[in-house]
Amino acid sequence: MPRLLKFIIPFALGIALGLLYGWVIDPVDFFDLTPDTLRADYKADYVLMTSEAFRVEQDPALAARRLAIFGSQSPSAIAADGLAYARANGFADSDIVLMQELVTALQAWRPDGGIP
Amino acid sequence: MRRIPWGILLALLAGTGLGLVYSWGVSPTRVVDSEPVALRADFKDHYRSAIAAAYASTGNLPRAQARLSLLGDANPIEALNAQAQRMLASGQSFDEADQVAALASALGQNGDVVSSPPPTTENTNNTVSAPTSTLPPPPPEAPVQLTETPDAVETQPVISASTPRPTRTPIPTLSSPFALTGQETVCDTNLPDGLLQVLVLNSNRRQMPGIEIVITWDGGGENFFTGLKPELGNGYADYVMTPNTIYAVQLRLGSDIASRLTTPTCQTPDGATFFGGIKLTFQQP
Repeated sequence: MPRLLKFIIPFALGIALGLLYGWVIDPVDFFDLTPDTLRADYKADYVLMTSEAFRVEQDPALAARRLAIFGSQSPSAIAADGLAYARANGFADSDIVLMQELVTALQAWRPDGGIP
Repeated sequence: MRRIPWGILLALLAGTGLGLVYSWGVSPTRVVDSEPVALRADFKDHYRSAIAAAYASTGNLPRAQARLSLLGDANPIEALNAQAQRMLASGQSFDEADQVAALASALGQNGDVVSSPPPTTENTNNTVSAPTSTLPPPPPEAPVQLTETPDAVETQPVISASTPRPTRTPIPTLSSPFALTGQETVCDTNLPDGLLQVLVLNSNRRQMPGIEIVITWDGGGENFFTGLKPELGNGYADYVMTPNTIYAVQLRLGSDIASRLTTPTCQTPDGATFFGGIKLTFQQP
């Protein structure tokens, strides 16, 4: 039994060291990432960009297409998340107004062009 | 001297190796909170498009610059220009490509090549580098400073290995149609046979990039754009005609039609014949 422990303990210690190194000290460097991995503030700023463009373009389909890069969530939900972040983090009132307009427009928009 | 505990060392190494395989290969750390600089190239294009669209709406250049710096492009102007050309070449919306090119143009006019490194620190106010203060009013619609670019010379060889990119010449407005102001036969043995050269100028005789040209013939048609060979001029485009085919050429934005174009036959001083080319010039009135 002690002979087995002599193997198991250093082996377990080695695993722990490997995990520590691979997860904490030198984790895998990622590149070519998708936008859904972006930090929340960058996502919110992207929603703000879309809102700024929407103010002039008034094209919810185009805005929805821009927001679609974030994945499977609905465009209005993505925009609402951005708006919530903006409200919670002291974005300028003028920016929040723009984002609110986008959220409202996307909530009323349907991909088939109809009005709910 | 004590004996080296090879068994223990071996177990330790095996465990470490297994741990690394698991942490790097099987279950690497999940990516969250990444930065725009780490995005895949096509998503960076989306990001630039959004920046350009926002800039087209707000006219807020500092904000656009701050956002562009997040992408870590060595030369944002070149990155934008290259993207605009890619968008045109892949048939994406002219308006969106125009916005991207316009942002590049604005940065160029500003004389500012932003190549700031990507941010590496957490934002203390959680709002990215883009300022969140009230947007300044858009700049007045003053005409931008233009840089004169030389006209394309007929006899220049049309071989380009460089990456085509638009220039800082502003994208044209869609205000007025173009007139066909020049149509010449070009007999130059240095040029490819049947070369159709098109030059598009604005009302100030400055060359215009990104203009779509439509060429049609009996049973077919094709589109091409000015500005893809910037070394020959921003408003230059060319197309190689097939001998004995009759073509018509016009600009997508609206122009006179150059019709009944066919490859001319030219003669060298010693009497040999060869196929020449045609040069068309379109200009905004």
